[in-house]
Amino acid sequence: MLFPTVDFALFFCLVFLGHWVLNHNARAWKAFMIAASYIFYGWWNPRYIFLLAGVTAVAQLSAIVVSRQEDQRRRMWAMAIGIAATIGPLLFFKYYGFFAVNVTNAGTTLHTTLTPPLIQVALPVGVSFYTFMAISYVVDVYRREFPVASWVDTALYLSFFPHLVAGPIVRPGELIPQLDIQRDPRHLDIVGAGWLILGGLFKKVVIANYLAAAIVDPVFGEPARHGSLEIAVAIVAYAVQIYCDFSGYTDIAIGVAKMLGFQFPQNFDRPYSARSIQEFWRRWHMTLSRWLRDYLYIPLGGNRKGTVRTYENLMITMLLGGLWHGAAWHFVVWGGLHGAYLVVGHWKASLRARGVLATPPDTWWIHALQWVSAFVLVCVGWVFFRADSVGTALSMLGRLVTLQSGPSSLVTVPVLLAIAIGMAVQFVPRAPGAAIRSAVSQLHPVPMGIAAGFALFAITTLGPRGVAPFIYFQF
Amino acid sequence: MTDEFTTPPPKRRRRVMPAGRALVVILVTLLVWAVLYAPELKRSAEAGDVGTRRTVSLAILDPLVWVTDHTGLTAAANAAARAAGRDPNAAVGGVDVGVDPLPSAGPDDHDQHHHKIVKDTDMREPSPDKQLRVAIVGDSLAQGVGFAADSVFKPFWAEVFKQGRISTGLARLDYFDWMAQMRTIVERADPDLILVMVGENDNQGLLNPDGSLEQDVGTFDWAAHYQERVERFAKIATSEGGHVVWIGLPNTSDKSRWDFIQRQDAIFQTVADELPNVAYFDSWNTFASADGGYSAFYRDGTKVREIRSPDGVHFNTDGYALLTEKAAQLATKDFNLDPKTYAP
Repeated sequence: MLFPTVDFALFFCLVFLGHWVLNHNARAWKAFMIAASYIFYGWWNPRYIFLLAGVTAVAQLSAIVVSRQEDQRRRMWAMAIGIAATIGPLLFFKYYGFFAVNVTNAGTTLHTTLTPPLIQVALPVGVSFYTFMAISYVVDVYRREFPVASWVDTALYLSFFPHLVAGPIVRPGELIPQLDIQRDPRHLDIVGAGWLILGGLFKKVVIANYLAAAIVDPVFGEPARHGSLEIAVAIVAYAVQIYCDFSGYTDIAIGVAKMLGFQFPQNFDRPYSARSIQEFWRRWHMTLSRWLRDYLYIPLGGNRKGTVRTYENLMITMLLGGLWHGAAWHFVVWGGLHGAYLVVGHWKASLRARGVLATPPDTWWIHALQWVSAFVLVCVGWVFFRADSVGTALSMLGRLVTLQSGPSSLVTVPVLLAIAIGMAVQFVPRAPGAAIRSAVSQLHPVPMGIAAGFALFAITTLGPRGVAPFIYFQF
Repeated sequence: MTDEFTTPPPKRRRRVMPAGRALVVILVTLLVWAVLYAPELKRSAEAGDVGTRRTVSLAILDPLVWVTDHTGLTAAANAAARAAGRDPNAAVGGVDVGVDPLPSAGPDDHDQHHHKIVKDTDMREPSPDKQLRVAIVGDSLAQGVGFAADSVFKPFWAEVFKQGRISTGLARLDYFDWMAQMRTIVERADPDLILVMVGENDNQGLLNPDGSLEQDVGTFDWAAHYQERVERFAKIATSEGGHVVWIGLPNTSDKSRWDFIQRQDAIFQTVADELPNVAYFDSWNTFASADGGYSAFYRDGTKVREIRSPDGVHFNTDGYALLTEKAAQLATKDFNLDPKTYAP
């Protein structure tokens, strides 16, 4: 079930009602929310719910087994086996096709009969996200940072519909305790939640969908037919599109959770205002960044084992982060580029710490230069992320830097305006938004609903017809 | 879970409210939106498949549209839509995402090859200043072919007009009128080669542009009426001397759809055999597995390639490129299309 649909609006009204009616009865409430979440997930394909239930069962069994091991070595093995079992379905769904085709072709080249069954596997929506959450749970139990939860709590933690299909990747300590706190039905921040939902819809429906159709898809589809200007604008447009698409989804998810009295961690914090790649990753897909840091980079040794190992760990983390997005070389290159950016950033910081490199002066133009550099580097990465192959990405960048002439009919005023709005939201002060929310919150519910209804109408009218899926659903 | 609320009341200036009042806000929001957006919602519902969901949606939306019309809100909503650059009276189907704009008028050589054709003819020789005009028309499958055609056909020799529109077909002319659109394409782009791939959404009643039912699906006469539409469409496409490669529908992972698709393919092939300058490309047998079943993979010499989308209906990028190359090769074989326009 997609968020910006009538189906979801009706579903949410029923869930909202049931949620608050059953709020005082923990058992009934949890059963209701699990059922609602499974219906939400099964709306795509009813068979998916077996996968979700299976991952839940494996994670819970793993956590129980891990928690019962007193011997540290056995505990670690139990965790490793648990993680392998939890991540198995993700590896199969995401990488089997890639693996089977490459092994078959390698076998043919080597004149062997090594041919794994050629089965095409459809990737169930959201599996990457809830698998990572399940791994968090098993590892946190192993580290004794979180006790084993009940079967019901684990099932609800992994299936809770606001985060189910594209995050945020919520850690067990952030959500499971909230399941046992009776939410206060007297103090609902409806304006804060509504602001997030309507803002998210605006970003997704009006900005992201428009830019995708108007310039990004045509240019990335066949860069050889476009000149440098259109390619440059399309790359920036994609940067804005993916931000508005993904952060729009996250805003809606956080807003929906807020309406039910839940707090989710922030996932985006004006990422394009960053002045370095390190800062970008502290602001972009924050829950994935910290997951990679806490469950991959630090276990690999982080920065505790010398400079070279730090750089290796950064590269491994970012390469795997790239591969998480899909079994394709262009994602690996994207991850590798960001790994390289981070390594260079660390190296520069170490040179500055040793006094070899001077610290840049704290002036506005240095800040502007840093911002431009960081944004350009991020955009170069996005070319590999969006292109359907490394070859296409290189061809685009080649045409861009060799200043190819070509038509510029796709660079229109609405496209530039949409890009400007998408970039402006990175920089506008937060105070006016807070003042508007505060003013709206003083309204009576009926005028408040009328105002929100008009805002929703404006969003659906401004956006293109039809419902485009969110980019991150494919991951 | 405790009986007492553990969350302290917020101390922010922003006012909070009880869940009951919040529900009022949500319901009023949705109601206001539904009233303002009712005409558009109704048009979307009318375009849906004939069935319970459509019937229920229309039963709910009819009174809302009545309210919207009688309060003057429809005019205001239409004005808002126009201000946002959307034609409120445009066909609800066939969104023009990924569709290339057509020239405002036909090319200079528009009437040069306008004569009655009784048998297949050769296509003209393209030149850099008089490129071959290639249009790709149909549903979402054609949209995929269109994007592939952009890469397969060489920009130096061929100009590609991507005209595929998702969710469209020849059954529901009320949703999107392909007959009228094909006429517009012929008049304005005058394509030399037209790749047609359509029919994936046509397992339903045949409706006319005005919404009246021509023939219900599942009836004995459905196939004859559908064939008449296919024939009419192909005749429009070739009416100005264009050549058509009609790409048949491939098999799907869902076997329950096979019978219907094979009947459609038989119709496409019959029409192609009957009409001059129309060739049929058999994608079913080209991409089926060795035992005739569905396969997501294609063995190209010694290499295996994944060519189908995981949805079991569409192709992936690689598959569309392969399909487009094969369609172009058929045009070379049947219509003498110059291979330099597409050969690597």
